[in-house]
Amino acid sequence: MTTTEPTTTEPTTTEPAPPAVGSDGAASDEDRPVGFGNLRRKEDPRLIRGMGNFVDDVQLPGMLHLAILRSPMAHARIVSIDKSAAEAHPKVVAVITGEDLAAQGLAWMPTLSNDVQAVLATDKVRFQHQEVAFVVAEDRYSARDALELIEVDYEWIDPVVDVRTAMDAGTPVIRDDLEGKTDNHIFDWETGDEAATKAVFDNADVVVKEEIVYPRVHPAPMETCGAVADVERVSGQLTLWCTTQAPHAHRTVYALVAGLPEHKIRVIAPDIGGGFGNKVPIYPGYVCAIVASLVIGKPVKWMEDRTENLVSTGFARDYIMEAEIAATSDGTIQAIRTNVIADHGAFNGVAAPTKYPAGFFGVFTGSYDLEAAFCKMSAIYTNKAPGGVAYACSFRITEAVYLVERIVDCLAYELEMDPAELRLKNFIQPDQFPYETRTGWVYDSGNYEPAMRKAMDMAGYEELRREQADKR
Amino acid sequence: MQVDLTVNGTEVSEEIEPRHLLVHFLRDQLGLTGTHWGCDTSNCGTCVVLIDGEPVKSCTHLAAMASGHDITTVEGLEVDGELDPVQEGFMQCHGLQCGFCTPGMMLTARALLNNNPNPSEGVIREAISGQICRCTGYSTIVRSIQWAANHESAVTIGASQ
Repeated sequence: MTTTEPTTTEPTTTEPAPPAVGSDGAASDEDRPVGFGNLRRKEDPRLIRGMGNFVDDVQLPGMLHLAILRSPMAHARIVSIDKSAAEAHPKVVAVITGEDLAAQGLAWMPTLSNDVQAVLATDKVRFQHQEVAFVVAEDRYSARDALELIEVDYEWIDPVVDVRTAMDAGTPVIRDDLEGKTDNHIFDWETGDEAATKAVFDNADVVVKEEIVYPRVHPAPMETCGAVADVERVSGQLTLWCTTQAPHAHRTVYALVAGLPEHKIRVIAPDIGGGFGNKVPIYPGYVCAIVASLVIGKPVKWMEDRTENLVSTGFARDYIMEAEIAATSDGTIQAIRTNVIADHGAFNGVAAPTKYPAGFFGVFTGSYDLEAAFCKMSAIYTNKAPGGVAYACSFRITEAVYLVERIVDCLAYELEMDPAELRLKNFIQPDQFPYETRTGWVYDSGNYEPAMRKAMDMAGYEELRREQADKR
Repeated sequence: MQVDLTVNGTEVSEEIEPRHLLVHFLRDQLGLTGTHWGCDTSNCGTCVVLIDGEPVKSCTHLAAMASGHDITTVEGLEVDGELDPVQEGFMQCHGLQCGFCTPGMMLTARALLNNNPNPSEGVIREAISGQICRCTGYSTIVRSIQWAANHESAVTIGASQ
């Protein structure tokens, strides 16, 4: 991106004044380029009248309701499940356990990261509130009632919740379903030049080291996840209304799981009440709704509640990053090195292409001109909900930016230098573009100093520093 | 049990279970799906309806408790094809993104403007403090409500009888 000083009037039409849109909806100021002025959104007239079409708004004739029984424990072997009392409930149509699904080869599904995930637990549960069984009933209240009638005997296994110790000898193996698995390791990944980076660090004037923890966060969209599955009994056609941000990927996975050809699956992503990446993964509840409709021959709705959404669906972050930065004593940054432990939960369900198992984390060199950089990462299983990359700004970029800017701040503190000054000194210069970073990414263009100075002016940086000095 | 209430100006008599929540009664039984179910713990406010003009979180309000009362949902804001200024304001000022929090947000705004036709920004922010927008569009929501305050017609919806 090149930054040029704007020569035209700035588009600061933030006042709630009548917009630059005529009563006929056409732009009233034709001299203005595309992107200026206000444009009315096409969906607003429906949404402000309460006429949205969210998944939970879908009502089909004869539709049944599905509710999921979840594990109270994070790690436990399932000894037995007694569903007879639930099945005897007058409004219950079906109660399905992992064993029932396994009999049809439906107990496991592929994830977006070349792993498998339990639709319903068969052997053991691997995170708190993992899906154990589901009930289909005539109404949503009865489905919930019947969950309380299912008796499950669990045998406690020590949960693995600290990713730092998850690889220690003697730690319970979470994924003993995977053949030959003897530890909680998922993958290692590295980028940059280890030897060149070590050489710079060995000769550096100053080295600063910091453990940077970016905890797990949850997108928590206003609308929770859910689906309405309708399998046509005669044609075998599946129509699925689903809270999904990735309907095409979903269709492929459902085809793989249910054994239906893709042309017989129609995934409808209607209005979505916020996603933020939380609605990219494929959750067991969606598959349960499909299976239920397939087995019963009626449309089935599953809508999770807020607690279910928070405890079981896709998260973001959960990186523990050991960062090191090497610099000269006058503040020229030379190299950055990091060792990352990535907590991927109980199943590797990160929504990242397998070519980039750490997403775009390789941009951790930031906007700085370095001599060398190196990253080593280990992804580890823990007894936490699976999922992975959430928030549009992510695919691990947020983690990378936090890492580099935090460690540059730490260096500024060590050198007793102004952190803004340190940054200005180390930016990639305009004449260096296109610039290839030490981790192999090409930045096509950029001019960071004016952008930084503009931000400092907008924030009143000098003034704030003066105020800080006065108060000390 | 039977409930008798007025919903958006129409008298309604329905058989319900005593435990039915107002949000599910409105959505599943009356088909008024504009009222949303977000957190079922009174935290998010997307389920807000007006009961006798007061904003109430319908996810933690029994339908039985609404019997004998006057309910306004988002579907009742538009009267005879005339949008409420709050609805118009949300369209004019980009007061919604995904639109899921919008019904509760607008009804809370309507109740505020009925009591205080000219609220300051601080008062507006206080009034919507029980409403969450996870798209985090609060600045434009505040502007939308200010727009409505500046374009208030003589018609007030859902005011106390």
